[in-house]
Amino acid sequence: MGRTRFTRNISWKKEARLFPGYLILTLWVIFTVVLIGWVFAASFATTREIFKGQALKFPTGFHFENYVKAWTSQNVSAFFLNSLGYASISSVLLILICAPAAYVLSRFKFFLNHTIQNSFVAAMGVPMVMIILPLFGVVTQLGLLKQDITVRILMIILYVGINVPYTTIFLLAFFSNLSSSYEEAAAIDGCPPMKIFWKIMLPLAQPGIITVSIFNFINVWNEYFMSLIFANNDRVKPVAVGLYSMIDSMKYTGDWAGMFAAVIIVFLPTFIIYLFLSEKIIAGITAGGLKG
Amino acid sequence: MKRNKTMIVVFLAPALIIFCAIFIYPILRTIVMSLFKVENVTSNPDQWIFVGIENYKTLIHTSLFQIALWNLARIWLIGGIVVLSLALLFAVILNSGIRFKKFYRAVIYMPNIISAVALATMWLQFVYNPKFGLLTTTFKSLGLDHLASINWTDSDHKFWALLFAYCFGMVGYHMLIFSSGIEKIPQELFEASTIDGASKTQQFKSITFPLLRSVIKTNITMWSITSVAFFVWSQLFSMVTADTQTITPMVYMYLQVFGAGNVISERNAGLGAAVGVLMGLCVVIVFFLTNRVIKEDDLEY
Repeated sequence: MGRTRFTRNISWKKEARLFPGYLILTLWVIFTVVLIGWVFAASFATTREIFKGQALKFPTGFHFENYVKAWTSQNVSAFFLNSLGYASISSVLLILICAPAAYVLSRFKFFLNHTIQNSFVAAMGVPMVMIILPLFGVVTQLGLLKQDITVRILMIILYVGINVPYTTIFLLAFFSNLSSSYEEAAAIDGCPPMKIFWKIMLPLAQPGIITVSIFNFINVWNEYFMSLIFANNDRVKPVAVGLYSMIDSMKYTGDWAGMFAAVIIVFLPTFIIYLFLSEKIIAGITAGGLKG
Repeated sequence: MKRNKTMIVVFLAPALIIFCAIFIYPILRTIVMSLFKVENVTSNPDQWIFVGIENYKTLIHTSLFQIALWNLARIWLIGGIVVLSLALLFAVILNSGIRFKKFYRAVIYMPNIISAVALATMWLQFVYNPKFGLLTTTFKSLGLDHLASINWTDSDHKFWALLFAYCFGMVGYHMLIFSSGIEKIPQELFEASTIDGASKTQQFKSITFPLLRSVIKTNITMWSITSVAFFVWSQLFSMVTADTQTITPMVYMYLQVFGAGNVISERNAGLGAAVGVLMGLCVVIVFFLTNRVIKEDDLEY
């Protein structure tokens, strides 16, 4: 039964015409899978097996201890928890800061409204090299890099700061598409505007808020340059920078399996998010990208 | 109305304050700083010595910076052509009516969500590894011993190895932008032209490509913005400090201001600021040039 349905739905002539397309995409996909799959496999092998080219054969079984070792002895746990903290706190703060701004920009006509919007759009194109030196100078003069706690707070402020323009513009587009009839109805019932925002508009904007928060989380998780400059010791480093210093020290330890395990630990959180939410992420890219 | 005014101020203030602190003030200070000799990046503005455009002159005559600019230009142009053509090709295939579109799209975009450090490590330690790497073992099993013996990360091949790996990760993003542009083109145009006997290639040349103008502009702008920030990949491909094969202006700036002093002749954060201003200018110039060259004629469809 399955076969008859299958043949009825499929037009082999059309599929044959599309064959080159399938071939190109499939080759690309296979390469991607091999790239990540091999590293994943190697993270369960031993360094000696990797060098003998037996990473995919597991002659001595799965070595979960690579993960245990990377997690405990190589500081990866600290980097991981740091990143988790930075990324989640920044994502939440970004919504609290940008959603109200985006709402006001999308709903009210006032002096400078368009200037603000345009500056935010322009800021998305500002390279990090143009802002990093004054930030570093001021922060050092204020003595904020001396204590771990101030460094952590500072990093969160910076992560929030660099993502404010994108988040605001993204949410602004989202609010503009929400009908204003809800607000009008609530206003007639005597609900004050600020309450309308928190009680009615923010919940309505939830899909947009979720999408942009995923982006912010991933962006902060993967951020490298700023973290490299401001996270000046192993206790405050996020994963990207931590992984780099680990790979650097690999030259002396020679623990390749452990390094691949660390790569997978860094890779997994964003990958898992993507596994479940790829459609949402892709929709968000195309919505945001066309604005830029 | 008065109530709205307080609301506007209260709601906008946090975002604007942080925006000014992280963007406006630093940008202005970078521009000013680039005109001064600044002993140390942390020194007070009253210790800066005004030198006019001297920093820019020094930069342009520094051979390491020239190499960095040349590398960036190659990454931008060659990488840009490769990435944008592949991205357009993939986007066209995705929208040609193939099955599993969402699956292909999701896998091709995936490298973009991986930390660049992790992705670069995968390439460096697996694909390009001279002992057990993908290239070496593949070429060996095909009997191509000459190709198998190449060390892809030696100084002759490093730049291309780097560029290739970088491009692989970038295709997905630009593909999505192209793809959303193609999805917006009304299907009737393709149907009508199919009835008139147009081939897929003709359709691409006369319908898809011309209607994608604004999307191409977006892609070129985005590509330029990311190219200017080319840093992580260089750092991972060259663990030694100043490697002429991989250095880019941002790496140069990092070495100049924060890095190992042995490669840099003069301690002057003003030079770093000048690099920043030049990079900002590059983005602006590319943006205006693409706007000039690719005219936005408001097509109605």
